[in-house]
Amino acid sequence: MGKKLRMGMFAAAAALGLHVASVLPSTAQELRVATSYKLLTLDPHYAVLNENIALLSHMYERLLYQDEALDLKPGLATSWKRLSETQWEFKLRENVRFQDGSAFSAEDVVYTIRRIQGFLKPPSGGFQAYVKSIKSVAVSGSLTVVIETEGSVPTLPLQLSNIFIMHHEAAGFRTTEDLNSGALANGTGPYKFDSWQSGETLKLTRNEDYWGGKPSWSEVTFRIIESPAARVAALVAQDVDLADFIPARDVEGVKKRGLKVESVSAARSNFLQFDLGREELPEVTDKDGNPIPNPFRDVRVRRALAMATDRQFLADKILLGYGTAAAQFFPNGLPGTSPKLVPEPPDYEKAKALLAEAGFPNGFNLSLAGSSGRYPGDGETLQAIAQNWARAGVGVKPVAVPFSVFETNRAGGKYAVWYAGCSGEAVDICLNAVVASPDKARGTGALNYGNYRNQAFDDVLAKARTIEVGPERNAAIAQAAELVMADQPVISLYHFHHISAYGGKVASYTMHPRGWTTAMQAVPSDK
Amino acid sequence: MTNVILGRFLQAFLLLLVMSLIGFIGIHSAGNPVYNIVNVETASAEDIREATIALGLDQPLWVQYVRFLENVGTGNFGTSYIYHLPAFGLLLSKLPATFELAFLAMLPAAPIGTGLGLLAGRHPGSILDGLILRSSVFALSIPSFWLSMMLILLGAIFTGWFPSGGRGETLSFLGQNWSFLTLDGLRHLALPVLALAIPNIALIARLARSGTVEVERLDFTRFCRAKGLSPSRILFRHTLPNISIPIVTIVGLQFGGMLAFAVVVESIFAWPGIGKLLIDSIQLLDRPVVMATLTFVSAVFVLLNALVDITYSILDPRVRVSV
Repeated sequence: MGKKLRMGMFAAAAALGLHVASVLPSTAQELRVATSYKLLTLDPHYAVLNENIALLSHMYERLLYQDEALDLKPGLATSWKRLSETQWEFKLRENVRFQDGSAFSAEDVVYTIRRIQGFLKPPSGGFQAYVKSIKSVAVSGSLTVVIETEGSVPTLPLQLSNIFIMHHEAAGFRTTEDLNSGALANGTGPYKFDSWQSGETLKLTRNEDYWGGKPSWSEVTFRIIESPAARVAALVAQDVDLADFIPARDVEGVKKRGLKVESVSAARSNFLQFDLGREELPEVTDKDGNPIPNPFRDVRVRRALAMATDRQFLADKILLGYGTAAAQFFPNGLPGTSPKLVPEPPDYEKAKALLAEAGFPNGFNLSLAGSSGRYPGDGETLQAIAQNWARAGVGVKPVAVPFSVFETNRAGGKYAVWYAGCSGEAVDICLNAVVASPDKARGTGALNYGNYRNQAFDDVLAKARTIEVGPERNAAIAQAAELVMADQPVISLYHFHHISAYGGKVASYTMHPRGWTTAMQAVPSDK
Repeated sequence: MTNVILGRFLQAFLLLLVMSLIGFIGIHSAGNPVYNIVNVETASAEDIREATIALGLDQPLWVQYVRFLENVGTGNFGTSYIYHLPAFGLLLSKLPATFELAFLAMLPAAPIGTGLGLLAGRHPGSILDGLILRSSVFALSIPSFWLSMMLILLGAIFTGWFPSGGRGETLSFLGQNWSFLTLDGLRHLALPVLALAIPNIALIARLARSGTVEVERLDFTRFCRAKGLSPSRILFRHTLPNISIPIVTIVGLQFGGMLAFAVVVESIFAWPGIGKLLIDSIQLLDRPVVMATLTFVSAVFVLLNALVDITYSILDPRVRVSV
């Protein structure tokens, strides 16, 4: 019947004399990608979300970019140096043209920074943080800019590695609405904008005049497929050549069908965060259900719970091996991480003893909250931890809800301990946001929702963050991390892995720990 | 007659109002959409607060609702929180995809279902009847996500005849993009159309069967038979019109349902239609889009019901008299 129907429909189309486009066999140089990243806007400065950044980086470029080891590499700037405590000079690349043919110059850098600083208004946001410290941008020669900062900002180049350079317009700043129409997309990147249907597809074509040489693919089509099963099906049915965010449970099946799989430990971590700010916490009670004073304020309780958490189990069984057990914010080996911070196997007896020492020989009860479906294995992780902690005598009610509901409740103070995540361009950003004392003026503790305060650590971290980017800074940050993790303000759980899979048209694919999916990472095979 | 139409309009208006209130409160109580717009792994509390204010979400709920009604009065459903595009425009851009899917599913489903029902009902208890009845129960009881996945498994992965999802090539016609105008688009349509048509065929067949069984027992059919009319003439000229009212009703309602709630099939086949837009927007708490979609869907249902009523009066003189 299906066949009949199909024939019928073909016949109907033919009978109507309609223009019937032939099915073009995809040419060797066309790359079709199934991505979970739904591009939200074509404005490169609208929101710092991977959803936008990964796809927009085909069209727009940054002055510098982070490679797979998170080291800075020259992009539109060929070199940069610090002239003084507050002054930076960036030499710009010669012979770079925007896609409309106009030459790239220092004016474009000025325009871009001003647009982010002064033009865009909430709800757009996020990029402002990277240019907040910039006092002025001066053009000195057509291919040199000198940036003056408010105070010493040793990580300015790293911050600028987030900023897409737009072409300056004499007529003034482009609005988000203008850019969303697509016609005005004009960057220096290797691929040109062709068309965009929100939530459906993004089509790109090769920028023949790209300064870095001819890009590998003549056409790139991103299909936005949020359902992981549908993404895998599209890859297996060869409707696409590359798919990102493959669920760990599907990896074996995908491999069996002759597809290749790549993965990388993400530059991020998921952890449990305690509310330490309040005297009493919701749903934290003794075994009879009577409220008790905030038990997490006692470091022994936090340590005991960490001891009773089987992170290796989470990585091996919940994430099926596509996760690395964590004891700090970024995977060991990345800049600023400490080799001394390694997850320990659980010791339930010791945890029990420590709880007894802290005054809870019978344990206590709590609710452990978190999102479900936001991060790989998030809901199951809560249940696994509930079982872990039960062995140490702590009764846990896992509460897994949709992400925005979780965030709304968390902000409303409804949780006592919860599952959270942090990512960023460097590990000190997570340290500074999650465990440094909340202080708006100093810009610390933005994600420290548990109100953890540790003056000694604050000082060490602040000092470390003033050091020039390099081994010395990394060592100082690693030391700060060791200091704070000994106090167990959070329980690091795991760094999940980004998993992508690809078919025969792609010879190799380089994973990026930031989790980006781009055509530039895919090398075409000769076939 | 004027009173009836006026009453209809009033009913429709009240329905839309109640629906908008329920939708508004529902999506509001689910959570704050700001967390889907800013990067919560880097944004500060300040960023989140500013974005909340910019979207007007800091206001009390009733203020937000009154503002929403004011805007809708001027034909403006607001701007999508997520895509920064006008919500109604976003909805309209997804309409052709859903419309062609629902239309192509109903086009074969109505006649095939009716035909099978007539065949089965003519000789109740026969082998053919049993076969049709049983397969329709099966087709109705399998969940649509399973049916869709089986279709992908068979039609896309094992045989490779059809693509697993997406719309394929589209052609612009009347200012919109349509898949059914291209061969590639039709290949993409085949599986989701099947997934939607199969349960509808089953439903309509069952309805037609029970109607036929009932009507064939009535005196006028016996009279026709006594008069010596051929069985096929009795079936098509006399039985069919008499069983058509419930069928028209169900075709209308199912068509409306497919326009609005083909959520599962659209999600699995990554078919960018209204159902997928609705479920995505609910997940992202994109209130303007959810409200625009719900209003549109309600309006479509009201309209379809009116159409069904009009069709009744054409098909059945008794209804005409009472209107």
